[in-house]
Amino acid sequence: MRVDVRALGACNRLAERGAERAADALADLTGTDLAVEVTGASVASGEDLAEAFAGRESIGVSVGLDGGLDGEAVLAFDSQQADALLSLLPGGASMGRSAVTEVGNIALGGFLDGWANYLGQAIDMTPPRYFEADGAAVLPDGALAGDGVFLFESRLDATTTDLDFSIYMLPDSGPFRDLVVGKTATAATPGAEGAAEGTGDAGSTVVPYESLSTFASLAKRGSTNAADNIGMMTGLDTTVEVSRLRFVPLADVPAEVGVEPHAGTVFELQGEPSGYLAILFEEESAAAVAASMLPTEPDDPLGDMAENALCELGNVMTSGFIDGWANVLGTSIAHSPPEFVHDIGSATISPIVAELGRRQDYGFVIDAAIQTEGVQAQCDVYALPDERELAAALSRLSET
Amino acid sequence: MSHPSSAGGRDASGSARRVAVGVGDLAVVDGDAALTTSGLGSCVAVALVDPTTGARGLLHAMLPSADDSQSSRPSARPAKYVDSGVDALIDELGAAGASPNRLEARLVGGAEMLDLTAAVGPRNVERAERALADAGIPIVARDVGDGVGRTVRYRPNGELAVRAADGFERTL
Repeated sequence: MRVDVRALGACNRLAERGAERAADALADLTGTDLAVEVTGASVASGEDLAEAFAGRESIGVSVGLDGGLDGEAVLAFDSQQADALLSLLPGGASMGRSAVTEVGNIALGGFLDGWANYLGQAIDMTPPRYFEADGAAVLPDGALAGDGVFLFESRLDATTTDLDFSIYMLPDSGPFRDLVVGKTATAATPGAEGAAEGTGDAGSTVVPYESLSTFASLAKRGSTNAADNIGMMTGLDTTVEVSRLRFVPLADVPAEVGVEPHAGTVFELQGEPSGYLAILFEEESAAAVAASMLPTEPDDPLGDMAENALCELGNVMTSGFIDGWANVLGTSIAHSPPEFVHDIGSATISPIVAELGRRQDYGFVIDAAIQTEGVQAQCDVYALPDERELAAALSRLSET
Repeated sequence: MSHPSSAGGRDASGSARRVAVGVGDLAVVDGDAALTTSGLGSCVAVALVDPTTGARGLLHAMLPSADDSQSSRPSARPAKYVDSGVDALIDELGAAGASPNRLEARLVGGAEMLDLTAAVGPRNVERAERALADAGIPIVARDVGDGVGRTVRYRPNGELAVRAADGFERTL
């Protein structure tokens, strides 16, 4: 079984459109504006997902799928937001569970309409089932089993209230694999930008399906190395937690970073694969992590001393990540010296997106959290490898 | 993605609709709507207005030209590139009742954010200048280059407010 890496992009585009329909359906129901913030496709192992969802409590509605797609779809939100959700609904809190179930039904119906339209085939939904779940139990059945699953995640944001939802869809991988391979190899639906990518020189990005789970393990492997390196450099007990690797359209990466000021470092990667890696912190996190590495509190939280500290941190993190990848892929990858950035988040990453955008349309985002001796700092690692070189390395890996 | 996406929010003045333009995207409005685009780094924003009808359009393009693309397929997204994006913006403004002969342009962005990447910012600016010259559209104001990110708001009165990452704001 071989899959085009870019086929994930086509699926991502579909998930995005489905999420927009879900947002419209919910907006009609609640009278609240809802916007689709981010849609990502991930290939993740059950173990990674279990870790990523640890400690979360969710309320969700699930439906089984049959027809054009087999599998399960779930609409979930944080249990702490239950009241906010209920207050938006006709009937309010008194409706409780049945109102949530209705929301799920309507949103998931909208979501799946998008897919059914594209597939030209109806998708049947089983009646919605309400549930409360701890941790990864919120995910569709089967997400935690096996070595690698496709998971689509969309986040909807209510513009007037603090409320966001996630939609997860786990298609049964057998039929879905056929869909990915079959549909994207031939389809060129008007407007389906992603779908058209399977044509042309698709051969160069085709990898064995099994390699995708290898790829998913790359993020995790890299983060362990990065944490070890930081620990060795600073002498501080450090953990880097990576939830998972997400696959997002390059043009959406700047929006993903957002317009808040960010500081961090950018590296060019040379080898197989080549590409770029950016480690970006929100200003507060950047200052906290830099201060934790400096002997005395700097006068300027993000001045020259902090810049040096963040560059050093970037250096060891990046070499940790790419050593991990090179080990998994059996290749050698080198990185440039760090370039410090401190500006509007999306602006800092735009030149990289432009550079890679000349030859590809998708990139990968690794969500990571760094913790050094009590200092908690969130960062995002944007790994933007050349997709053809990555596919080639993954392909070679499966042959040995 | 060539259709405007309404952010649903209100303008700072509390009166106007705001239409957010994403990366590789464009939108055309008339009336009291404001057009915004955020986080311009090396990308370039081209703002066009027909002062007579008030029709305005904003393009946020990432790369100079589709001809430079190493991708083997034509992009389904003209606004990704400066050259095809300017053409598409002029066409959409024409469809909205603007006259190509009356259009005037404002140009923002094209910063050199990183030494690591080839100087795509200046090339975006240069390509935008050429595309506008080819179309016979004068550039009446610009805020381009340097190494700073920018956020743009195209107001209903035709003014283009540009805010830099350091908080400095100017009106073009």
